[in-house]
Amino acid sequence: MSVIIDAEKCGKIENCPGEGLCIKLCEQGALEEKDGDILLIPEKCDDCDLCIQNCPNQAISKDG
Amino acid sequence: MHSKLSKPGDIQGWIKMKSEGINKISQTVQTKKHPKSGTDKTKLERNGDQKRCLDYISQNCIGCGICVDICPTNSIKSAPTLPIARGLLKMDHISVNKDTCALCGLCASSCAFNALKFSINDTDVKKTEMYPKWSHQTTIDNDLCVYCNKCENVCPRDAIKVSRTLPERSKLVTGEIDINKEKCIDCGICEEMCPADAITIKETGKNSFEISVDEKKCVYCLVCKRACPEDAITAACRLCSYGEYELNPEDTAIKGKVVLDDETCISCGWCEDICPKGAVDVIKPFEGEIFTVNEDECKGESCHACEDVCPCNAITLENGKAHINPDHCVLCGVCAKACPQNNITIKRSSMNLENVRSKSWDKILSNLVG
Repeated sequence: MSVIIDAEKCGKIENCPGEGLCIKLCEQGALEEKDGDILLIPEKCDDCDLCIQNCPNQAISKDG
Repeated sequence: MHSKLSKPGDIQGWIKMKSEGINKISQTVQTKKHPKSGTDKTKLERNGDQKRCLDYISQNCIGCGICVDICPTNSIKSAPTLPIARGLLKMDHISVNKDTCALCGLCASSCAFNALKFSINDTDVKKTEMYPKWSHQTTIDNDLCVYCNKCENVCPRDAIKVSRTLPERSKLVTGEIDINKEKCIDCGICEEMCPADAITIKETGKNSFEISVDEKKCVYCLVCKRACPEDAITAACRLCSYGEYELNPEDTAIKGKVVLDDETCISCGWCEDICPKGAVDVIKPFEGEIFTVNEDECKGESCHACEDVCPCNAITLENGKAHINPDHCVLCGVCAKACPQNNITIKRSSMNLENVRSKSWDKILSNLVG
């Protein structure tokens, strides 16, 4: 199971109603901003699912 | 039970709440008469026009989402509680759709935390006989209270204010002190050693000093008397000398007042727990139980969503896992909704809502328990 970000649903951080809420919520530093997009660092992810639950665009999910 | 409940993150469109959020709905309801229909509506008698008003009091809202679950017209949307609790989103916990809200008042009646108020013709329905009333409450017995401030310090909602006036220290002690100025050599030892800063030695001229005792500050501890190298001080404490020396009870009384704000109090029970005098009595809104389903699933430090959203400070992390103290829990359910792992279950066995007269309301409200 790994976290996947749907780039289409996500859009750029500047358009995010939560202004990059997932980055702010993730205390593991597994989500970062890169060129205005969200970048996932899988090694840091602890599978807490906070980003999935709180994404205003419902752009984050898990595969598997 | 959880299948019926909303999850804040699942709600589409909370984004729009920022712009569309409504915190007060007020409209005049034209009374419709259904003289022949024979439906439930005819049983509700309304004489003339009614002004119905639903008020949302943001600061009282804990984001539990009970109103969202209970609204018969699905007119209430909840925002994600965690980002609000962490200060990442500045918005109200709920928003009410004014187009679909039927202004029935069920949300306000089911809100155990005074965040929704519903009035008809400017009268709060909770003050009328027709609507349900919560019987949960916190009472503080002023006669037992000693104004120790513990409840004020522990209250997670800042709902308690304790004010106290202490007696003057000088009135709690009694004694005599006298400094023989003939014997005094102005060495300053007593001044330095006095624990109450009651002795002062003032320079009045070249090589001339004046020693004085402030009897309002002196506690007659006799330190000066014992320290004086010249035996220049005579002092006695009446309380020590005579044992139970009567002080004027008026002079020594600690006066105070403890004020509880019923509006912001959520009856979590912290004050009752901490009060050393047993002066507090708390009746909670719900009875039941709360537990974590599978401790291994808890992500602890990575997540701690439950800890952050809990309005009662009832959840802490212990050994890296969420630990819920049921003594301080009000079974509002906000933690269960905020947990991304669905790892918290609440089972309410009863609710202290009385005077539910409508059978249809009773049916909807019963979804909150059982």
